[in-house]
Amino acid sequence: MTERASLEPGAVSPEGAGSPLLSVENLSVSYAATRAVRDVSFQLHDGEFVGLLGESGSGKTTLGNALLRLLPPPGRISEGRVMWWGSARTGEAREGPEPHRAGRDLTTIGQEDLRRLRWREMSTVFQSSMNSLNPVLTIETQFRDVIEEHTAMRGAPARQRIGQLLEMVMLDPSYMRFYPHELSGGMKQRVALALALALRPRFVLLDEPTTGLDVIVQRSILDNVRALQREQGFAVLLISHDLGTVMEVSDRVMVMYAGKIVEDQRASTMIAEPMHPYTRGLLGAYADPRAREVEIAYIPGRPPDLSRPGQRGCLFAPRCQEAIDVCRAEEPVLSAMGQGEAACHVAEAAYAAGDGRRDQSARAGEVFTAPAGRTDRGPRVERRQEVLAVAGVHKRYRSRRGLKVTEVDAVQDVSFVLRAGTVTALVGQSGSGKTTLARMVTGVERPDTGSVTFGELRVDRLRGRGLKAYRRHVQLVFQDPFAALNPAHTIGYTLSRPLINHQDVTGAALRPAIEELLERVGLSPASTYIEKYPHQLSGGQQQRVVVARALAPDPEIIVADEPISMLDVSIRAEILELLDTLVRERGIAMLYITHDLLSARVLADEVLVLHNGKLVESGATLEVIRGARDAYTRQLLDAIPNPFATRRG
Amino acid sequence: MSTPIGQVAKPIDSEPAPGDVAAAVRRSRLPSWVVILWANRKSRIGLIMLGLFIFVAVFAPLLATHDPKVTDFAQSLPPGGAHPLGTTASGQDILSQLVYGARTSIVVGLVAGTVVTFIALLVGLTAGYLQGWVDEVLSFLINLALVVPVLPLMITIAAYSPVRGLFLIIFVISITGWAWGARVKRAQILTLRSRDYITAARFAGEGRLRIIFAEIMPNMMSLVVAGFLGAAAGAIGAEAGLEFLGLGDPTTVSWGTMLYWANNSGAMLTGQWIWLGAPGLAIALLLSSLTLINFGVDALSNPHLRER
Ligand SMILES: Nc1ncnc2c1ncn2[C@@H]1O[C@H](COP(=O)(O)OP(=O)(O)O)[C@@H](O)[C@H]1O
Ligand code: SF4
Ligand SMILES: [Mg+2]
Repeated sequence: MTERASLEPGAVSPEGAGSPLLSVENLSVSYAATRAVRDVSFQLHDGEFVGLLGESGSGKTTLGNALLRLLPPPGRISEGRVMWWGSARTGEAREGPEPHRAGRDLTTIGQEDLRRLRWREMSTVFQSSMNSLNPVLTIETQFRDVIEEHTAMRGAPARQRIGQLLEMVMLDPSYMRFYPHELSGGMKQRVALALALALRPRFVLLDEPTTGLDVIVQRSILDNVRALQREQGFAVLLISHDLGTVMEVSDRVMVMYAGKIVEDQRASTMIAEPMHPYTRGLLGAYADPRAREVEIAYIPGRPPDLSRPGQRGCLFAPRCQEAIDVCRAEEPVLSAMGQGEAACHVAEAAYAAGDGRRDQSARAGEVFTAPAGRTDRGPRVERRQEVLAVAGVHKRYRSRRGLKVTEVDAVQDVSFVLRAGTVTALVGQSGSGKTTLARMVTGVERPDTGSVTFGELRVDRLRGRGLKAYRRHVQLVFQDPFAALNPAHTIGYTLSRPLINHQDVTGAALRPAIEELLERVGLSPASTYIEKYPHQLSGGQQQRVVVARALAPDPEIIVADEPISMLDVSIRAEILELLDTLVRERGIAMLYITHDLLSARVLADEVLVLHNGKLVESGATLEVIRGARDAYTRQLLDAIPNPFATRRG
Repeated sequence: MSTPIGQVAKPIDSEPAPGDVAAAVRRSRLPSWVVILWANRKSRIGLIMLGLFIFVAVFAPLLATHDPKVTDFAQSLPPGGAHPLGTTASGQDILSQLVYGARTSIVVGLVAGTVVTFIALLVGLTAGYLQGWVDEVLSFLINLALVVPVLPLMITIAAYSPVRGLFLIIFVISITGWAWGARVKRAQILTLRSRDYITAARFAGEGRLRIIFAEIMPNMMSLVVAGFLGAAAGAIGAEAGLEFLGLGDPTTVSWGTMLYWANNSGAMLTGQWIWLGAPGLAIALLLSSLTLINFGVDALSNPHLRER
């Protein structure tokens, strides 16, 4: 077949290890002046599970969207081709002699062909897919719309198929009747996944499909995808900023930086031998939380601004610990070395000279250290001032569906205290009652029995005006900074509101107060941020603004709900460091909600583990983590993506 | 339905350059929505067309060469001379009627569009924000209003009403046209009210009204404006239609009555194409201008789309 194929260059499948399903050739994509994807080439084979890793702004989503021609304006494919080799193998062409496998260039085919190709041949799930389900239609209707548009299936068979699809993603078929808002985030994402797989596509693009969900849900969704992929043989391109996740499920990993693929090799060998300094830096952000001394490294600096013209050399050079002179003059190209491909002068020279070993350790860059016991926050935990006490709280939710009433004990007999200058981590999977407890602390929810006291104040008895006044003392830091900032308002406006409402700052005093807040969270010079809109900031900067807003009323308590889980690995440590500094310097009592035991280990003094609404373990961080007795805590520890696990084990 | 494919408005995953439009908005003294719409080419054409119609409507007494109701001229004159578009079968100047007719359409579009948008917002926002039994009652009303066949209802009310005239028509259009907009706005507010930034606003000490009007509304602007444009277009079309059917006050000067009289006087048979064609074309152009403006509306509440 290869011989015959080679007679017709351009219209036949390229050779190589097997035949590719999708080949990207010198693809470049730009948004006006910003060159978001620069000269990227790679191939994807049938049934392959490939990870695409990189921090936000590196061009992953742009690349993914370009493959399916879903670029939002002003995005434009400026160069290159995306060849799809899938279509000819399906349908009637199978009989008779092996046909020429005609490739189709996805960058030029018509809208109508494209529409037919999407869903049927290739489909996608985004992080936001769960929010893009139509709120006024039932799950069943949404499936029907897709199935009926593309197939002849109607009525009972269609319904049966929908049931199968839901079962496939481990949802009970009875959820068909539900509306999206009646499902949890994880369930909605499973629905989106089932929708994507409804027409048995050959290629599925997953763009941060589990970001923002909690670790066990993430894990189970990805395991589910992986199993389905093995069973049905579709190819997957999994886009994520989360190295651990990508490494664990992918066969092959491509690392992207500043619009280019800088490393491409099998996951198993990448863990043992990352070649590019950037990959080595990313791997440094992981550690075992059970270690006596935990160091997590982050890569200092920010990715380059790709809209600036005339940048020369390796774009990673300003952040690279290994850079040499030639790096600043000449941009390295992706070429074969070691057990894969990488784009780095130093690595190339090292492999040319021998086994590629370099002196620098992988854990280079800035390091944020958590010692075995925290002594830098003043006196021993028990002697610090008590700020808020939760005593024996219970909460039972009743929900009604028709005549059936179901009751859920969301929280059962939980007690703990928050102390000044102390971080208390609240750990548990979704549905374990973390949010309910946090809502009690903030006064939004009242316990059925038990009490929540803030000084002399009974928080659980507050209502109306009293509740509004109490919010001065408790503030929130959210999981998704982009969702927590109103896109319609400037940063200056957003920060001015709590100052005006809670602190009575007005008029000429407002601007200096806003600038002071921005400086305090490390956004300086402050004046450059005041006029900006949230979408003009990076994820880390947005989270700093969210922290600044929480600091505005000078609160005693901050409830931080997974504040780093949606951030890039390379900046998580920075935000942890900021929170740590604020707690220490301002004596804030922080309730840190997380499912990430590594970050809890680094930031928290104490850990509370919640399971099915009950407190199953509590105590000093290191003791709880190292001596995890409860089965659930151990399960959590095992669910931590650990790229080093396979090497260790 | 909103599919997970292609229709997801999600932030572009790269650090965007500061928007030219955002900067232009700050520099300019015009209201920001004008600047944002102006940045879109199709919207710009629509705004210019609409501007011309409004200009004609406002300055009709100066632009029209004759009184549109005066029947002093020779009947059914062909175009030319003192009557560039000729005269009607009862001897009125067609161009002057066309000029004054713009007033009626603009007023109907503006007033009915505003009333419809207002009712839709009030019902949609209340239902979506308060939820609970209020929502159930209002949703029932919305669904009821949606299944009522609008056109027959309109015709029935207009035909049996003891009074005739413009304000009856505006009233009829308003009470039949709000339901769809209310439903869309309710759905939108359902998704907006649970956003983290709304919770954050509550913790920043904002009151309920401020949350609705300063936090939620700006993010619904494109929906509100699109709803307004749609309602205005619908109203303009419905007004012309009702008058064409003779359900308006035939003595007012409007494009609809022009069509009515032209049709009744057999303009088609006597070859007076312009009498019939000119108001028809005017309506089509006015409606197209609204449609064109709509192309730029998405950028109103999505700062991402403002960058060119
Ligand atoms: N408003 C509500 N109505 C009904 N059930 C709820 C509500 N909020 C939470 N629950 C239920 O309470 C349990 C605990 O949920 P939650 O407090 O949200 O935990 P977490 O924050 O860990 O996800 C879950 O079973 C959830 O379904
Ligand atoms: S080419 Fe040079 S600057 Fe770029 S990653 Fe390699 S060593 Fe660092
Ligand atoms: Mg939760």
